[in-house]
Amino acid sequence: MNRALPLEGIRVVNFGWVWAGPAIGQTLGFLGAEVLKIESRARLDPMRRIPPFHGGRPDPDRSLAQHACWAGNGSVTLDLKQPEALDLVRRLIARSDVVVENFSPRVMESLGLGYPALRALREDIILFSMPAAGSSGPMRDLRTYGTTLTALTGLDSLTGYKGGAPMPVENAFSDPYTGIFAAFAIVAALRHRRRTGEGQHVEFSQQESVMQMVGPAYMDWLLNGAVAGPKGNEHPLAAAAPHGVFPCRGEDRWISIVCATEEEWRGLLAAFPDAASLRTNDFATIERRLVHIDALHEAVGRWTIRFEVAALAEHLQRHGVAAAPVSTAGDLASDPHLRARNTFVRVAHPLGFEETVYGAYVKTSRSRPRIEPGRALGHDNERVFREILGLSQAEYADLVERRIID
Amino acid sequence: MADRTGGGSRGALAGIRVVDFGQMVSAPYCAKLFADYGADVIKVELPGGDAARRAGPFPGDRPHSEKSGLFFFHNTSKRGITCDVGRPEGRALMIRLLQWADVLIENNLPRQMRAWGLDYPSLAATNPNLVVISITPFGQSGPYSGWNGYDLNAFHLSGASSRYCGRPGEMPLEHGTFSADYFGAVTGAAWGLAAVFGRDEIGGQHVDVSSAEAIAATFVGGMNIAAVVHERRVETRTGLGNALSAPATILPCRDGQVWMMVMEPGQWRGLRAAMGEPEWAQPEMFDDTRVRAENADLVYPPILEWCRDRDKLAIMDLCQAHGCPVSAVLDVGEAARQAHLLERGFFVDVEHAFLGRVRVIGAPFRMPASPARPPRPAPLLGEHDDAIWGDEVGASRDALARLRAQGIVGAAAEGTAS
Repeated sequence: MNRALPLEGIRVVNFGWVWAGPAIGQTLGFLGAEVLKIESRARLDPMRRIPPFHGGRPDPDRSLAQHACWAGNGSVTLDLKQPEALDLVRRLIARSDVVVENFSPRVMESLGLGYPALRALREDIILFSMPAAGSSGPMRDLRTYGTTLTALTGLDSLTGYKGGAPMPVENAFSDPYTGIFAAFAIVAALRHRRRTGEGQHVEFSQQESVMQMVGPAYMDWLLNGAVAGPKGNEHPLAAAAPHGVFPCRGEDRWISIVCATEEEWRGLLAAFPDAASLRTNDFATIERRLVHIDALHEAVGRWTIRFEVAALAEHLQRHGVAAAPVSTAGDLASDPHLRARNTFVRVAHPLGFEETVYGAYVKTSRSRPRIEPGRALGHDNERVFREILGLSQAEYADLVERRIID
Repeated sequence: MADRTGGGSRGALAGIRVVDFGQMVSAPYCAKLFADYGADVIKVELPGGDAARRAGPFPGDRPHSEKSGLFFFHNTSKRGITCDVGRPEGRALMIRLLQWADVLIENNLPRQMRAWGLDYPSLAATNPNLVVISITPFGQSGPYSGWNGYDLNAFHLSGASSRYCGRPGEMPLEHGTFSADYFGAVTGAAWGLAAVFGRDEIGGQHVDVSSAEAIAATFVGGMNIAAVVHERRVETRTGLGNALSAPATILPCRDGQVWMMVMEPGQWRGLRAAMGEPEWAQPEMFDDTRVRAENADLVYPPILEWCRDRDKLAIMDLCQAHGCPVSAVLDVGEAARQAHLLERGFFVDVEHAFLGRVRVIGAPFRMPASPARPPRPAPLLGEHDDAIWGDEVGASRDALARLRAQGIVGAAAEGTAS
């Protein structure tokens, strides 16, 4: 079946692990690339230990959460501590277009897989490295998780309740963000290669790519010396009011509401025809609403709390107001919009169970991405070693027996 | 049409012709990424200008349509023209420009694009090879596709806030920036550039990004959908960085905060060593992440006390030296002045007619064989109208004068625009 995928025929060897690196493979896979993640039982990717597991029993091949994060990566198992395994991975790289890694700087060199070495294997290879803070500079050896990395961009200093201390974001937003962003960089390198025949070593500092998100506050610091701090859900540049999250009927139910234009504000008033508290002089213009924003948000919240969230969002939208439910994690499976867009898809796993993963999270009018179940460890070994590298059955069995392929 | 923006010829995306018909953050930032790496990007503004021109930040907080920091940041290295696409002559001009283009990047509401006659089927009919990247909060299909929405609505619809940021029972939080817009922008860039890459075989297509969906799928869904669907278990925000360990959150210290994320036994032993091996931390059971989490009430108080007398950079350096992942929570000014980024040459100076010398955040990644171009200043409103509409699209001098007189091309009178 012709799926019209733009990266069909591109082979990627992915040393990326945990979340950001494999998220690159997931996106490149949706775009049509053949992605082979190099893993090993000796040094298991920690994501394979994350619950829930199918059947409830911990098993690196049945982590449903890992599958839901990066099912699109093929799996090739090699114990890279053994020279023969490194030799096999070199042979695979010689037949590949792109190598992805998110180790600390110099790990690839220590494996003998630095850029000059890869280039000797294949002149036009693209090596994509994604260290936390780049491969040069005084912080190049920084130890971070996705959660702690963003603190060094200024992003975390902007997150929290108004006037309060920064609040932590409880998982690594920057991992899928940089993972997807990285796919852009890799396709750019592929385009350069197609035009010139040149490969290259792309250096992608997670810190620098995430710091772009701080641009608006950075510009205020640059132009005015202003250092922004947490301000709840207010507009980052005080250009809209109301601009916030308001309580609705029920436990932990909230709605987001934005009025950026006068038309939207008039819509909000029309949606709450009896709300005298919103019709005061203090709220008559955007300038006044910004001055009195705490009182404004309190007054809006006193109205929203009377309504059920989905019905209120519909009601406000009918009046032209930008309003939407604040979803809980539980809503993701039932939200009518996500259901209509097939955001999450049930797929059959080769080990004989069904699981739910995210599908193509972008809709393309011609390309039809493959939506794959998670791969068991070594799922692609046979194809890679027998078909791509051309090992005989006896050679392959011997490498498995000696746990080089593991 | 030649690329007149300069410096782009070595870039990885040189020769790609992009029209940016977006406002504020998502589509303009996506188009800026194309421009950074060498594409020829033309920004089309309505005569009133991109709403970012009215959003600030402005020097001295004095609004001026050519001094918006928000506009400047997202529009460097583009040329800028104006067009009132809401009128037939304006639409016709835009269609001519889009016949020249390889890519259109836009973030208007779907109903607005339909009202202008610039919806995807209409554009594909005049240029079947065009790649259209639409980045909106909800996307082009589904029950919310007709809704009005902004960055805030998209972020909170994704589940990211309710699940991951804020105190239980209190309002869920977005980061204090346009997180959903940025997420949508990089998503549109990745999928959109791939569509351009595959265009010779596949032809043009519509790349429909819902920023809410992209976050819901890849961030929140990835880590939660299995528990929700297969175990009917819904987790929610705790107000702590990671309730499955301790210390694993943002902690106050003498001059601010540190983000301390101690998960593995080696990291815990590193923290212990950094703190000078205090008595209370010695029991071996604390090597176990889960045990520390269950005894958070014992673990946190002495660590908080240790942090109280120390500065965030000193804590970070000491912990990092012992292999423990701790980051100082830098404010925006501190982040911008850090020696690491200065040494890496991350920031780049640009001269602008109204803002003077501006030291902008540099390109997001490095491609030695096809480097990002040195940024050029964001265009003034209508700066390249004559050059592009006249010389390149081929409107005659008379026609252009007529279009200007009718207000279809050219900046709207001051007062509307600023």
